[in-house]
Amino acid sequence: MRQPGQVIVITSGKGGVGKTTACANIATALSLLGHRVAMVDADIGLRNLDVVMGLENRIVYDVVDVVEGFCRVRQALIKDKRFEGLYLLPAAQTRDKSAVSPLQMKSVCDELRTDFDFVLVDCPAGIEQGFRNAVAGADRAIIITTPEVASVRDADRIIGLLEADGMAEPQLVLNRIRQQMVRRGDMMDTDDVIEILAIDLLGVVPEDEGIIVSTNRGEPAVTLPGSRAGLAFRNIARRIRGEVVPFMSLEENNGLLARLSRMVRLSSG
Amino acid sequence: MSRRVRPPECDRPALLVRGTVRSGRQVRHNGDVVVLGDVNPGGQIVAAGDVAVMGTLRGTVHAGATGDHSAVVAAFRLCPTQLRIASYVSRPPEDPGGHPEYPELALVRDGVVVVQPLTSGTLTRSGPDETLPDRGGGQRKPLIGKQ
Repeated sequence: MRQPGQVIVITSGKGGVGKTTACANIATALSLLGHRVAMVDADIGLRNLDVVMGLENRIVYDVVDVVEGFCRVRQALIKDKRFEGLYLLPAAQTRDKSAVSPLQMKSVCDELRTDFDFVLVDCPAGIEQGFRNAVAGADRAIIITTPEVASVRDADRIIGLLEADGMAEPQLVLNRIRQQMVRRGDMMDTDDVIEILAIDLLGVVPEDEGIIVSTNRGEPAVTLPGSRAGLAFRNIARRIRGEVVPFMSLEENNGLLARLSRMVRLSSG
Repeated sequence: MSRRVRPPECDRPALLVRGTVRSGRQVRHNGDVVVLGDVNPGGQIVAAGDVAVMGTLRGTVHAGATGDHSAVVAAFRLCPTQLRIASYVSRPPEDPGGHPEYPELALVRDGVVVVQPLTSGTLTRSGPDETLPDRGGGQRKPLIGKQ
């Protein structure tokens, strides 16, 4: 009898900050580390996790079919043939958030946790039913935010709602950071964000054009060797397992010449 | 010159809030409010009495919400999105010169919301007619205010 797995919800409040991308990449990275991982797409009506994983052609049943008793969870789960131990429970595209209740989602998550080490729930944007459904079954939360005022505002709201629910303190992933903009003072840096959100930092992911390519192709960035975002997500997966992983350098150009020129600028400035 | 002084025994208990008031949370109280933490942007304090934030006030605050324009707002770092005392509404000055790193007190004087450093001399309650001693060499900067 395996030890029950953890259910982690990936949420943000704000839309478009990288929840689905983070969910796909963290789940893939965890499976590459040898764990059994189930991804659950809780964005009913606007499903994206299947696309980002490149699995949309293989959907037969979805979470609404499970909840309405049309099929069993096992039948709806899609096994990703590229990554051992990685499965996806897709959302429905032709229904909406009212098709599932928080209690039903919790029951699905509880069933999944008996067979998987990690259940990652991709939460939709917002604070309404979709959010309520996604967090219902979760043990803990990962908050995704970008270093932008509006995104941090929404993340703060979400953290407040989770705190009020009594959930364990969420952890933060700061996504799409552009170190050159931070240096110019045009973008918030990690400390600015943490000062407002006041939760532990799980990881920082640099802005990476390659993400657009990888999500369009359905190939998670963690599998692409040159991807800096991919490396950041792999580090996040290791930290979730309990490993201590130093934060990677966010410098956008880290070749020898760039590092030397920064040293010269620092000493002469 | 009349001086409005609130009697020392107040029949309205103060509300103490532990921890940060996050975005989307509204704290309403028919009395004074003390926050042991920050008030984040999007967070709101609405108090009939005074408001004291033992942290950074970045959200919106309404002191004297039932009409008491002698109410005050104090914070370790006062950088509200919007600050109201009774019917006076004010917002921070336009220039993003950064906020002072010392505690400040906001109150209504001569029909305008003003901000001054919070020193021990300013801790006693006073009405709008009394001139408070301005110690510590700080400056009074009128916020943009309207009644």
